[in-house]
Amino acid sequence: MPDADLLNAYNYDSFVPEKFMPWMRFDESPPLGERTPDFPLWRLDGGETSLAQTLRGHAYTVVEFGSFT
Amino acid sequence: MNEIADRYRDQGVGAVFLYTHEAHPGEIYPRLTSMAQKFSNARDLRDKLGVTRSILVDALDGACHRAYGSMPNMTWIFNKSGVPVYKSDWTDAASVENALQYFLDVKRRRRSGARLAPFHVERLDYRTQDREGFYAGLDRNGPKAVSEFRAAFG
Repeated sequence: MPDADLLNAYNYDSFVPEKFMPWMRFDESPPLGERTPDFPLWRLDGGETSLAQTLRGHAYTVVEFGSFT
Repeated sequence: MNEIADRYRDQGVGAVFLYTHEAHPGEIYPRLTSMAQKFSNARDLRDKLGVTRSILVDALDGACHRAYGSMPNMTWIFNKSGVPVYKSDWTDAASVENALQYFLDVKRRRRSGARLAPFHVERLDYRTQDREGFYAGLDRNGPKAVSEFRAAFG
């Protein structure tokens, strides 16, 4: 069960520096050239897949992270 | 980014959009509080903003997004083994296409028998700033999103 504080902090309600800046962690992201962690992901029809499963289908896969807003 | 996905599909390149969290929550698109809401917003991304790539949805706590640096609109390129070969803290189609052309050329060089060894390179890329378009996008989320961004960055 996800931690409620984490859910609230990650899904912040206002774009103010004290709420969004803690998530700007690109410098701490995994290095290139090394295998990275896998995570469950969901298709729009609700079916479950995973990052690794998604990547296996192509020589290269471009993954854009983002949202409507 | 949709056009790049179309252009390179036949060359073994996949493309997905990974739905994370609302970076600029507003009155119309407030913070996410449920997976149902997250799926609904992800469908709007497809239906209203015209994302034609496969859209995958991260967990509500952003487990995948957070593990990769949790930037609001970053892009990574992975090889088939799940190893990242490119990462950018901001999405820029020209930068992504430039990287893809390089990696596809690596593939061709390997096929032709070249012995290649990886190395790390850092590079500063440049994107066009479309302030007007960006604010128009924020306005879709609700006026709160616009005023908060102005307060933070002017």
